[in-house]
Amino acid sequence: MSPVLLLRLGVVLSAVYCLIALTILVARTFSFGRPPKYAKAKGSATKGIVYAFGQGLLPWEKESASKHLLTFLAGILYHAGIFAAIFFLMTTLLLIKLPDIAIRIVRLLAVIGLLNGIGLLIKRSALPYMRFISCPDDYIANILVGLLLLATILATHYYVFQFVMMAVAIMLLLYIPVGKIRHCVFFFYSRILFGTFFGRRGTLPHPPTQD
Amino acid sequence: MSEDTGKDSYEERISGLTSAEFARALQTFCDKIEFGDAAQLNSCVHCGLCADTCHYYLASGELEALPAYKLNLVSAVFKNQHTRLGRIAPALTGAQALDADMVSRWVDSLYGRCSLCGRCALNCTLGINVSRLIRLARTTLASVDLVPPELQSTVNTAVDKGNNMGIPRQEWLDTLQWLDEELQQEVSDPAAHLPIDQPNIRLFYTVNPREPKFFPLSLLATAKIFYAAGESWTFSSDYYDVTNYGLFSGDDEAAGVISARLRDSMHKLRANTLVLGECGHGYNANRWEAPEWLAGAYGFEVKSILEIIADYIRQGRIKLDPSRNQKRVTLHDPCNLVRLGGIIEEQRFILKRTVSDFVEMFPNREQNFCCGGGGGQLSMTRFAKRRIESGRIKADQIRATGAKIVVAPCHNCIDQLSELNKEYKLGVEIKTVSEMVADALVIEH
Repeated sequence: MSPVLLLRLGVVLSAVYCLIALTILVARTFSFGRPPKYAKAKGSATKGIVYAFGQGLLPWEKESASKHLLTFLAGILYHAGIFAAIFFLMTTLLLIKLPDIAIRIVRLLAVIGLLNGIGLLIKRSALPYMRFISCPDDYIANILVGLLLLATILATHYYVFQFVMMAVAIMLLLYIPVGKIRHCVFFFYSRILFGTFFGRRGTLPHPPTQD
Repeated sequence: MSEDTGKDSYEERISGLTSAEFARALQTFCDKIEFGDAAQLNSCVHCGLCADTCHYYLASGELEALPAYKLNLVSAVFKNQHTRLGRIAPALTGAQALDADMVSRWVDSLYGRCSLCGRCALNCTLGINVSRLIRLARTTLASVDLVPPELQSTVNTAVDKGNNMGIPRQEWLDTLQWLDEELQQEVSDPAAHLPIDQPNIRLFYTVNPREPKFFPLSLLATAKIFYAAGESWTFSSDYYDVTNYGLFSGDDEAAGVISARLRDSMHKLRANTLVLGECGHGYNANRWEAPEWLAGAYGFEVKSILEIIADYIRQGRIKLDPSRNQKRVTLHDPCNLVRLGGIIEEQRFILKRTVSDFVEMFPNREQNFCCGGGGGQLSMTRFAKRRIESGRIKADQIRATGAKIVVAPCHNCIDQLSELNKEYKLGVEIKTVSEMVADALVIEH
């Protein structure tokens, strides 16, 4: 088997492992049980969930975002870069040839993502309160994702770097279920739980003023 | 305080925990985790954006007050118990066993630097309910009798004596009799009275025991409103305490015992609606948490007195003259009533018709800052200095409004605000919503 094919197979197998491991993780989480809620709802859980994934994601709805707009924006651009890199990885695996414009967009997003990722890493390393709440997992995750973005940028220029990109992708996919990147799944559960909690209680979405 | 170690008996108890007690604590921790808790314990990305949502951190700048750190303390034990990497390479993910060091840190940060106000939860970029998870850790500590003794004592008094102030039944009845006479004078009607144990009525009204003990006139204010509205209501001679410090200690069993008494009184009185007096955590405990502690839906309505008063105004059952309250008034939003309770606009609707100069403090409503009196902090004297320091954020908010009166629909908040008033020289009066309404009431015979 050629090294190229081996790498492709490695990415596919590690992606399968990643999905299975995340599925098991979610199943384990569900095994903790979900007792019924007995208190009569004041508001609507559904409206709360809609808020959580819509209006509630806007920066002015959360002080954590409105007071830290730069970090909030950096986070969004970082994730945009990651999604672009994943998209490029998939097209590479499937041997799909992207038009030039698409490659340029991927490259641009990956560059912006990488720069923002580096910025967030510097922030984590430089600020005492960020260091205080960080553990090695935070740095490893950031570095692995940064490497994937860097490899993607290079791979959009030079074919040979596609192999580097695939090698990094294998490491990242193997790491996802055990490290903090597992939030890629749990983010959705957390937002649903957030919306359900504040929605049932009638706190969110904001009740109309009674004038 | 031990002369040998310099530790008090509580600290000595932590350092002397047995392996059987650690095992019991861990068992409780694992048993109490629900799906939602596990999902959220897997979610934090340590973005740190929650830092300045916490009044403890804002006021002190101490890293141990960071919400993400407090959440880390809980997730460290979760990872150690429930994740493979947490067991194999704990240092990599910040996993840690529940040992004496961790218990000390739990007590210091999760009891001592958190009022369970939920502000960090509301503002978390992922939506993690940090305060719920902190309470989960408190429940774990409660299972091995590690609730700070001052807080535990408040819970014990409520369980043993029927109310958290330990007011004897006769004293309660004497206070009501005295208030009965006061009400008759106040409304110039010898037929006016405070009903006790009246069956088959619409409302069963519950109060914070601090009212009969220290602020009886706030009871009188509510009685006056009920009188003006021609309401069918009653007090109970035995169980009337709206508070439930089990919410703060984390002891679900004790919390269930306390709340069950109000539920049982409702059945005994055959009332339609359980009305919760102006008490933030009492509202959260009895409206939202009690049915979960007791594992059963209530067959009756549970409402805040603010909802009842707002209805009176809407229905024209009471008449108000706002010119009777001329001073500038601002409103404090109790966390348990507003952010965690969902009672947000009623108090504003009432005050705008009760006072002539109402100003909001900022931020307000569900984004309000905690005054620092919640989470059992008023009971835990060992953390009193931090509580007063954390209240500086609220004091600054109040000062910025230029108000002369701060209205707080919560007696715990009133106690804390009174202390802040002295400490930060705010020069304000602190009142309940009912007191403001009673002052503006126009009673027509």
